[in-house]
Amino acid sequence: MPAFPYYDSKAIDALNGQAVSLLGLFASRGYGREEPAVLQPAEIFLDRSGEEIRRRTFTLMDPSGRELCLRPDLTIPICREAVQSKRSFPARIAYNGLVFRHQPGEPHRPTQFFQAGVELLGLEDRAAGETEILSLVVDALKVCGLSDFTIRMGDLALFNALVDALALPAGWRSRLKRHFWRAGYVESLLYWLGHGDGKAKLPGTRDEIEALLDARGDAPMAARTREDIITRALDRAAEAANLRLDTKVADAIAQLLDISGPAEESLVKVRALLATAGINLDPQLAAMDARLATLKSLNIDPARVQFTAHFGRNMEYYTGFVFELWARDKEGPVQIAGGGRYDSMMEMLGAKKPVSAIGVAIRTERVLAAKRGGK
Amino acid sequence: MLTLAIPSKGRLKDNCNAWFAERGVVMEQTAGARGYRASFAGMPDVEVMLLSAGEIASSLLAGDIHLGITGEDLLREEAPELTGRMHLIKPLGFGFADVVVAVSGAWIDVATMADLDDVCAAYAHKQKRRLRVATKYAQLTRQFFALNRISDYRIVPSAGATEGAPAAGTAEVIVDITTTGTTLRDNGLKILDDGVILKSQAQLAASVTADWSADARKACESLLGKLDPAGPLYPALAAQLR
Repeated sequence: MPAFPYYDSKAIDALNGQAVSLLGLFASRGYGREEPAVLQPAEIFLDRSGEEIRRRTFTLMDPSGRELCLRPDLTIPICREAVQSKRSFPARIAYNGLVFRHQPGEPHRPTQFFQAGVELLGLEDRAAGETEILSLVVDALKVCGLSDFTIRMGDLALFNALVDALALPAGWRSRLKRHFWRAGYVESLLYWLGHGDGKAKLPGTRDEIEALLDARGDAPMAARTREDIITRALDRAAEAANLRLDTKVADAIAQLLDISGPAEESLVKVRALLATAGINLDPQLAAMDARLATLKSLNIDPARVQFTAHFGRNMEYYTGFVFELWARDKEGPVQIAGGGRYDSMMEMLGAKKPVSAIGVAIRTERVLAAKRGGK
Repeated sequence: MLTLAIPSKGRLKDNCNAWFAERGVVMEQTAGARGYRASFAGMPDVEVMLLSAGEIASSLLAGDIHLGITGEDLLREEAPELTGRMHLIKPLGFGFADVVVAVSGAWIDVATMADLDDVCAAYAHKQKRRLRVATKYAQLTRQFFALNRISDYRIVPSAGATEGAPAAGTAEVIVDITTTGTTLRDNGLKILDDGVILKSQAQLAASVTADWSADARKACESLLGKLDPAGPLYPALAAQLR
């Protein structure tokens, strides 16, 4: 695809035809189409999405100096509207439209492309929501006439539960979870936890810390409270003094993060490692089993389903189950769809209480290319 | 004709003139051009333009001039990936300054970028908003924060007096240029231990995308030969120009 695609009548007809089929399928499952504005206030994207999206967002200034952007994604504006219009849940919303992404250093990648997808908001039964979305994306590709694809799955909740089961200070648990999606970095953090220098960099008593802070009385607090600073300083001093992770456990986690391959085999390995480390993650593993069962019931060959323990999508708003569908076009493997659970998004956008959320986006142009060139 | 831009005012301009003079290249102001044009004595093929330091960086990126002298901070901000766009010919040994990440001195629990990451994440989680980083170096900041795996922040563009942003309440963190650190300290700020983004100095730089005619190449080779007779400056540049 060129950086600035031009759709001739054959190409746009093919895309439109496919979109009609997809939206028809979505509608038959209760997902009504909605269409946010192409031009959006920039703040919501710059404030709420991860650096990967922000780096790729086209921003511009309107004549009055307000910062705007071309929507890099449809999930955020759809979720925001659901929050602002106080939608009743569960809400099922479909979309098909252009999104815009800056592709720095990659002039062959398109700066705009179509996405067709759905969002399922506020369905309390998470397992049912996952089954519904998985079935929908598999059926969507069937409707498009693409049967040759593989599925890659992971679950951030699995890693989060694993970290919560470790005897670590809260700060470290949050750090490990936050960086889970960064390949290599989590491993280096784990190594540090096993071999950390253990040196306290700050004094350990509250009085000493208060005195330090008083000595900087003229410096701005910069949005933090005195108590926040003192608490964190005390935590840091305490954790530096006695921070160690059992080597056996650290090793088990590192090995677990390495697991990747056919899903059924991989989950057997995960269970064996967890048993060695004495950690129980049965509820999370049962959820993974249920997803595999769903795919089996949809006649997906288990050999086409991969589990990657270290699979975190690089858009940081995902919080649990994540998946990608891959096919081949004439140049090689290409991701044709991706999605997952993003349970913290609605609150980030102003919802007064947590709202469960899961969705999937299909790269429709790539689906067409995979049908043409994959054989 | 080879076009070379040098800073039009301030210490950078004086340092440039002195640097050329030391190498036997004498600048002559062109009459009637209101001080925005000049030439080198005995080098009719070189046109010297006097521009602001920021304009020099953007003109090099746009390929409007062949050579320019300006701060490396501005060049790297203008073109985060220099390859295929600009070639740094030679650091000039003046105009030293560091681009740094600074936070309030009252944040006694924050000494490193890893600490800042924790504080950013905790703030985003609690406040449902991101901490703001005031800077005129948006590109360098983005790159450096990504390198340090920090994502819970947002950039607030700053046109000037960035060091005042935390006290004014318009941002919590700043990325700014500093030579001695005095201005930062005066504003109650401290530089993070691993918060030096770039150790900058004035650079003689070439635009790779400019129109490098045979004439321009010839004039450039003779100018660089004069500026650094022993060094392989021109061959290194020519290799970049294809």
